[in-house]
Amino acid sequence: MSGTPLLTIHDLTVSVGGKQILTGLNLAVATGEVHAIMGPNGSGKSTLAHVLAGRPGYEVTSGNIVYQGRDLLALAPEERARQGLFLGFQYPVEIPGVNNVYLLKAALNAQRKERGLPEVDAFEFLALVREKMKLMQIEDSFLSRGVNEGFSGGEKKRNEILQMLVLEPTLAVLDETDSGLDIDALKVVAAGVNSLRSPARSCLLVTHYQRLLEYVVPDFVHVLVRGRIARSGDRGLALELERRGYDWVSGAAA
Amino acid sequence: MSTLLADRIAAQHASTLAALPPQLAGGARRRAAMAALATAGLPGARDENWKYANLRPLERQSFTPAPLNPGAAAAAAPAELPQRLPGFARDVFRDGNFAPALSDPLEAGPARILPLAVFESGSPPAPAHAGRDQRFALLNAAFATDGASIAVPATAAGPARIELLFVASAAAEAGASYPRVELRLEPEARLTLIERHLGVSDGASFVASAVAAELDRGAALEHYRLQELGARAILFDSLSATLGADARYHLRAIGSGALAARSSIQVRLAGERAGLAFAAASLGDRQQLQDTYAAVEHLAPNTRTEETFRGIAAGRARIAFNGRMVVAREARGADSRQSLRGLLAGADAEIDVRPQLEIYTDEVSASHGATAGKLDEQMLFYLLARGLDRETAQRALKWAFLGDVVARIEPPQLRQQIETRLAAQMLGGSTFREFL
Ligand SMILES: Nc1ncnc2c1ncn2[C@@H]1O[C@H](COP(=O)(O)OP(=O)(O)OP(=O)(O)O)[C@@H](O)[C@H]1O
Ligand SMILES: [Mg+2]
Repeated sequence: MSGTPLLTIHDLTVSVGGKQILTGLNLAVATGEVHAIMGPNGSGKSTLAHVLAGRPGYEVTSGNIVYQGRDLLALAPEERARQGLFLGFQYPVEIPGVNNVYLLKAALNAQRKERGLPEVDAFEFLALVREKMKLMQIEDSFLSRGVNEGFSGGEKKRNEILQMLVLEPTLAVLDETDSGLDIDALKVVAAGVNSLRSPARSCLLVTHYQRLLEYVVPDFVHVLVRGRIARSGDRGLALELERRGYDWVSGAAA
Repeated sequence: MSTLLADRIAAQHASTLAALPPQLAGGARRRAAMAALATAGLPGARDENWKYANLRPLERQSFTPAPLNPGAAAAAAPAELPQRLPGFARDVFRDGNFAPALSDPLEAGPARILPLAVFESGSPPAPAHAGRDQRFALLNAAFATDGASIAVPATAAGPARIELLFVASAAAEAGASYPRVELRLEPEARLTLIERHLGVSDGASFVASAVAAELDRGAALEHYRLQELGARAILFDSLSATLGADARYHLRAIGSGALAARSSIQVRLAGERAGLAFAAASLGDRQQLQDTYAAVEHLAPNTRTEETFRGIAAGRARIAFNGRMVVAREARGADSRQSLRGLLAGADAEIDVRPQLEIYTDEVSASHGATAGKLDEQMLFYLLARGLDRETAQRALKWAFLGDVVARIEPPQLRQQIETRLAAQMLGGSTFREFL
């Protein structure tokens, strides 16, 4: 909590298809911190996650984002990824014909290249992936299939976390990785996220449920309402939200 | 067809006839084919179903078969040919002529393969049902120097496996090449056939190939067609097949070579419950043209078709696939599915995928989809968000796009050869697969 600033979002305004979705959002994340972002459907949580990852189609009309001291918005999506920003998708896409292991290896090597490291050694890679698969309880056979091809909703989410574990990002933005998980899978995913917690890494957890936060205890909780942060607090805020509902915050924000 | 062109073909035929191998049913078939061609004419630019084909090379082409040039034998050294596939007999034809030194027909199993040139008589007649879009098959029949005639009897010993390699080495100025295949599967017979057209030089060859297949009751044909001609070759290809009751025809075609290639396909599902599964992929780059016209006729009850096309046009390439499906009144209970997709991978590329349906009965189940567009943005972003560079991500998605066709190539070594070639040609060598 006393880390250096990793991500600073200042007065961010974003439109999609001419409609303003983020309306002056401010957020600061220091290294080592876990921030949870909650908020009603359509409030702009995924929009924020996508803008951070650089998805095309979002128009930033004002504000700025500084990541590791650099202008994040000036970087292409692949550059952001190579500099340690990881987006866990709310809806991971299926890419039949490109297999999971290929993607893992290509992603890891892209990052290593950025850092001036040689391509990952085959044995090292094998050992790394096997270890992480065990943690995520993913079977070998899944990995030789196409990316997310025919995976169930929960399997897709576990696969996102597997990718995250292999890539060891500096900033993980997890968009509703807990949605659609059964209780055992939720624990597995939480264990995956916790295994990466370190003073050098930060995490932005977008979630609707207090339940995930029982396993991954956040340092801060923010409530996003109509495109800006309406309230921030510690994990107690998540509990209070669960009791009182979003109307409580929405009313205050209006 | 201009009368000028017709006259020139007729004159060249007349002056060549004496020199052509007379064994093709004593030349009677040649004359019949030539007469039919003179009546029907070759297609012209205004012909329906031919608007994408490049017919201009015909105007200056000599139709006389390219002479057998022994000096060119070295140009098709075994080392330049694709590796032998285990379990497959191999017959090699160079510029339409059988090349025994490069062939090994021993493994054919129960099938009888005969080079047409040694056929005395009784070779199967040219298909009587060939439609107007099969007119290049007449040109082939009129001029063909050689080819393979394959008859497969039923056997319990598994399918016969044959690979036919048609190597184009002659330049177009030397004349045309006429690869020819005649297939007959007896009742319940099974055959896996690989038909491969390749060029051993970058020379501009002119190739007019023809395949005619008859599948008797319950016969099963797995047919792979690989068009890998040289970068300046011109190809007019004709394929016609007739299926009897319960016959199954699996046709997989991958075209990536030639400067301009036109494939005209006609499949007649003539017997009850006959089924066609046709998967095709066309890849074009630079100025290449890949044009396929496929007409499938459901002529009997409960016949089935599943047609898949994937085309990728890069550079200034043009790709067309016209999939015509006719369901006749007699074809009650027919089932016809079509999935045609084109991918534009170049700002100046062009792609046209077109389903054409003619249904004359109510009792039919049909689903048809045709799309042409760019790479899926969501998939692309997913890969970029994992750090892949844009070019690699795009290549990976092209690969994924072709998967619907490539994954259906069953002989593992053949699939590997095809993947290696496609990867080298358009994907920078990667097949986007790793294993633990
Ligand atoms: N392309 C678009 N055109 C117009 N509106 C859009 C577009 N994309 C998103 N929106 C709108 O932006 C708003 C915010 O969407 P976003 O996905 O960020 O919400 P969210 O907070 O993640 O919601 P949820 O909890 O349901 O996942 C929604 O009202 C959505 O309809
Ligand atoms: Mg969302």
